[in-house]
Amino acid sequence: MADTPLLEIKHLKKYFRVPAGQNHAVDDVSFTIERGETLGVVGESGCGKSTLGRTIIRLLEATDGQVLLNGEDITHIKGKKLKEAREKLQIVFQDPYSSLNPRLRVESAIMEPLQHSGRFKSKAEMKAEANRLMELVGIDERLRQSYPHELDGGRRQRVGIARALALNPEFIVCDEPVSALDVSIQAQVLNLLMDLQDQLGMAYMFVTHDLSVVRHIANNILVMYLGQAVEKAPTEELFNEPLHPYTKALLSAIPSVDIHKPMQRIQLKGEITSPINPKPGCRFAARCPYACELCEEPQVLEEVRPNHFVQCCRCKEINGL
Amino acid sequence: MKNFLEINDLVVEYTQNRQVVHAVNGVSLKLEKGKTLGLVGETGAGKTTIAKSIMRILPDVAAYIRGGEVWLDGENLLEKSEDEMYSIRGSKIAMIFQDPMTALNPLMTVGDQIAEVLLLHNTKDKKEAMTKAGDMLEMVGIPRERYIEYPHQFSGGMKQRVVIAMALACDPELLLADEPTTALDVTIQAQVLDMIRDLRDKLGTSMILITHDLGVVAETCDSVAVIYAGQVVESGSKEDLFDHPTHPYTKGLFGSLPSMAVGEKRLHSIVGLPPDPTNLPSGCSFWPRCPYATEACKCIPTEEQVNVGVLSSIPNREITPGHFVRCIKEGE
Repeated sequence: MADTPLLEIKHLKKYFRVPAGQNHAVDDVSFTIERGETLGVVGESGCGKSTLGRTIIRLLEATDGQVLLNGEDITHIKGKKLKEAREKLQIVFQDPYSSLNPRLRVESAIMEPLQHSGRFKSKAEMKAEANRLMELVGIDERLRQSYPHELDGGRRQRVGIARALALNPEFIVCDEPVSALDVSIQAQVLNLLMDLQDQLGMAYMFVTHDLSVVRHIANNILVMYLGQAVEKAPTEELFNEPLHPYTKALLSAIPSVDIHKPMQRIQLKGEITSPINPKPGCRFAARCPYACELCEEPQVLEEVRPNHFVQCCRCKEINGL
Repeated sequence: MKNFLEINDLVVEYTQNRQVVHAVNGVSLKLEKGKTLGLVGETGAGKTTIAKSIMRILPDVAAYIRGGEVWLDGENLLEKSEDEMYSIRGSKIAMIFQDPMTALNPLMTVGDQIAEVLLLHNTKDKKEAMTKAGDMLEMVGIPRERYIEYPHQFSGGMKQRVVIAMALACDPELLLADEPTTALDVTIQAQVLDMIRDLRDKLGTSMILITHDLGVVAETCDSVAVIYAGQVVESGSKEDLFDHPTHPYTKGLFGSLPSMAVGEKRLHSIVGLPPDPTNLPSGCSFWPRCPYATEACKCIPTEEQVNVGVLSSIPNREITPGHFVRCIKEGE
């Protein structure tokens, strides 16, 4: 039991049917998340990172593949078992403006998951628990009876976090939790998320397009491109030595606040190609400076170094490994 | 005339639910020809209002320019009539809006939208306008054949390039770019920023770049002004600001950036929230969040100052040549 990772994702696929065919939003992604770990998932919009998070916690049904929670397959469970699993798997949404019910006061919004769980016998107990959660995430008690529209973005996001924490989950998907917030507020919320993890020990999957945020918060990073995992590595290793051509370009594109560092940018040509009925080969090939004929074959995610996975047939050659 | 654009003591107020929103409270800015000025600040700090005041496109009834001057190339734009502004907008000054999805007309082909600007300002000949519009598309890296396509057929990055092509169509002397890359992905942002820089250098355009991303400022601007609650709290060259941030708010902004805190576990966030613009604190508007605030920071402005719309009596001091800080405790 101690050896099984918290979550094991095996060949997970999620396709959406669209008029033009099948949208391969998540295509054969495999990885594991350990207890208490923070996994950052980065990629550009439309690469399937949010879909991945939602499929793992069963907000979306997987097309194929498996999700194992503590060694148990939860991909197709139903009813009571699903409800139990969902208590362990929570999500914080991107937009605190639209993810809260505008007609529920802060206290009621936080009490909602408590009521559903059936763990509490009386209303007084629930209120006490809601108060404890509000204190935990730093919302003043006087805001108990406020409506979401009366709160600013940072406080609203705190309510969203309190709701996610309510049932002591083991795993929280944070889907761009700070991208709608200003930098000074963003820093407050990031600090809060890190403090909560230290206290409560849950694992995060941090979905974001902001690479500086994941560098700060994540232990490991998974880079996605058009539904596929192209690289996964420990955070500092990924930032210091990216191996996949896409990761290299992505990292070089971040505007740096260091004005004395000369800019060394790998310019990518073109834009993301469509994820609808993609060809079998490497999906990055059309923009990749190293593309060759071999790239038209299906690619596999290979462990090129301990814990460093790359999906690129020319990776060793390019990086001189 | 050394400065191409000079804004003096601009004060703009909005009326909302019978309350006065103090959006811009005595802003002065300078921009030399061919240079780029970055305006940095949080949501609601008044950055966009400053740009809209230069363009004179503030909402008619709700907004009121209470005082100040906007000198562009020796002329005060705030004294121009609406007709005069009509010919200045789009030809002499152009603006790139934040959201390319809403800045384009969904019912017109992208080529025609660019040609429309040219027909208004440059030429009467439709053929010539269409050819020039095709050239503009190519200049921003979109094939000429896509002239007849509609905005929904373009991706976000390409739509933003169309918006940029529109803004640059009449060779404006001043370009106001309001968060031009905020809605775009990083790799596309890098492409668009490189393109804006290239075009600016090629055409010699002066530019005001509004952003909340300090990384974008570092890569694009010559000088920077930090805006807080409708005031410039610190301004100077890029080197002044990035190497010696002095105002507590500027320091707080840098401390909040995850990329600056490599190796540190916690971010140095700024406590509290930006002030309510209908009810600004007296004295320095940052004091409620400032770790160094004292009684002296809360000083009340004189009646005379209030009458001209100045809400803060904290002087703007020059600490090194060209580097201004609005903080009385700057030395400590």
